[in-house]
Amino acid sequence: MNWITGTLGSSIGKKLMMAITGFSFCGFLTAHLAGNLTIYGGQDAFNGYAAHLHALGPLVTVAEVGLLTFALIHVITGVILFLGNLKARPVRYAVNKSAGGRTIGSATMPYTGVILLAFIVFHLMNFHFVDKTNTTIFAIVSSAFTSPTYVAIYIVAMVTAAIHVSHGFWSAFQTVGANHPKYMPLIRTLSIVFAVIVGVGFGFLPVYIFLLA
Amino acid sequence: MTKNIDLTLKVWRQKGAADKGRFETYRANNISTDMSFLEMLDVVNEQLAVDGKEPIAFDHDCREGICGMCGCVVNGRAHGAEKGTTLCQLHMRHFKSGDTIAIEPFRALAFKVIKDLAVDRSALDKIIQAGGYISVDTGGAQDANAIPVPQEVADLAMDAAQCIGCGACVASCPNASAMLFTSAKVSQLALLPQGRPEAARRALNMVRTMDALGFGNCTNETECEAECPKEISITNIARLNREYLKSSFFSRAM
Amino acid sequence: MWEYCGMARTNEGLAMAQKMVQELRDEFWKNVKIPGNSADFNQSLERAGRVADFLEFAELMLIDAQDRQESCGGHFNERYQTEENEALRDDDNFCHVAAWEFTGDGKAPAFHKEPLVFENVKLTQRSYK
Repeated sequence: MNWITGTLGSSIGKKLMMAITGFSFCGFLTAHLAGNLTIYGGQDAFNGYAAHLHALGPLVTVAEVGLLTFALIHVITGVILFLGNLKARPVRYAVNKSAGGRTIGSATMPYTGVILLAFIVFHLMNFHFVDKTNTTIFAIVSSAFTSPTYVAIYIVAMVTAAIHVSHGFWSAFQTVGANHPKYMPLIRTLSIVFAVIVGVGFGFLPVYIFLLA
Repeated sequence: MTKNIDLTLKVWRQKGAADKGRFETYRANNISTDMSFLEMLDVVNEQLAVDGKEPIAFDHDCREGICGMCGCVVNGRAHGAEKGTTLCQLHMRHFKSGDTIAIEPFRALAFKVIKDLAVDRSALDKIIQAGGYISVDTGGAQDANAIPVPQEVADLAMDAAQCIGCGACVASCPNASAMLFTSAKVSQLALLPQGRPEAARRALNMVRTMDALGFGNCTNETECEAECPKEISITNIARLNREYLKSSFFSRAM
Repeated sequence: MWEYCGMARTNEGLAMAQKMVQELRDEFWKNVKIPGNSADFNQSLERAGRVADFLEFAELMLIDAQDRQESCGGHFNERYQTEENEALRDDDNFCHVAAWEFTGDGKAPAFHKEPLVFENVKLTQRSYK
């Protein structure tokens, strides 16, 4: 076991865990977004999607436990990295300018991460851990997004998510060593495209429902 | 066109690692725009010595950008704002008369301030000692062409070998990570056949040493690449990641 | 040193240079001003140490150049030259490596020599013709 903990405990090992868990969240976001798009199909399509999902039974539980484990790894490792990085420069620069390498995404990763964590808890409280015996998911979602505050919170959260993945996506490739002059420009473009899809794709849903109501 | 300019310098003064340190303001008058940044500091130091004050300590050696000895953070940028140059190659023509210039040492936990702008970068030497070499047993030198190396691979290795170990990557990294340095040193050897026999052990030992010395973690901010006076690419960091993960998971090296 | 202990040297020039270096050394040790203190990292002290070294080494070079009464390679004493103005060696007296031992401040250094022995080649005049 020693070499495994040694590897995962090293700086590159921690980054590997961030990359792998991050990759799977990108996959999750894609699936989640694909499912959510059924909202545009109307009430029945969306409720149908939810029913299909729940019909998977134990698979859903496995996925949930998996996501939770990955989330814990991502958050705990992220915090350890953040604190380690703070410690690595005890005296800060009085004047500090970027040489042009940083992006909004890369410079704000820990902060957008914290916002997203708070949002995910909030999101799960609203739509996941609720009594659904006498209602449908579509009804819950529709009633939530009649409130402009809810709509605003979700839009802010989705913009935050977009910023987070704009760095996280390509960064994960770099961390696992997948940087090749032929593919890296494409990966970096995809990173931005994916961020826009996440931001607009998820972000427009609350607006759509708000307008519909 | 040569002309002379007047500057205000805000210089970090610190007696030693234990001292807290503070900025002090100096005037640098009548500075020729043909001077390098270090020559400007020499002029200021001469005046300080004449005035009976202690000159500003700063590192320098070859003054032609190949030794890796000089380096300060000038107005928030390691080696100043010019691209692909060391501090000794930064000319005063890039400043205007009346400018205020903030000069700080490279800051990192692993780089202790020796005095003022001079920092102890022996941590980088320790990373090299952990594996940045190839072991060649004694014997007759073999024929230069005995091991064929494709030109583009040799070029890549040479690009990595451009690293002069100045520490600007650490200084400019928001996390004070030494990954660009370590990756350049690992890459220059990992790319060549002569470096392969020890590649697995090298990657493991150099990364472990780097971590133990208190450098931060790479978060792919790419500030190092943008600031490196030798313009070393972060593709080397990806290569180090590959080498390290490959060694960790697939080699017999522990 | 450039003027009197450079390309071509004379005994008078070397003697004069030695006196000048001694005076310069005296002035250095009397008037040297080093900012800072010896307990801290002190780049001025480091440089002053180097200047002291240079002054000491300059005198040593002058002493050795005066001792070696011949011309040999970079040491060209104008008194010893061939008809074609090439260096004229005196292998009978100076076919050795000289080492000078420090005997204390202000005292003349002690001379030691290690003879040069050639087994396979014969000493001869270098010719560029």
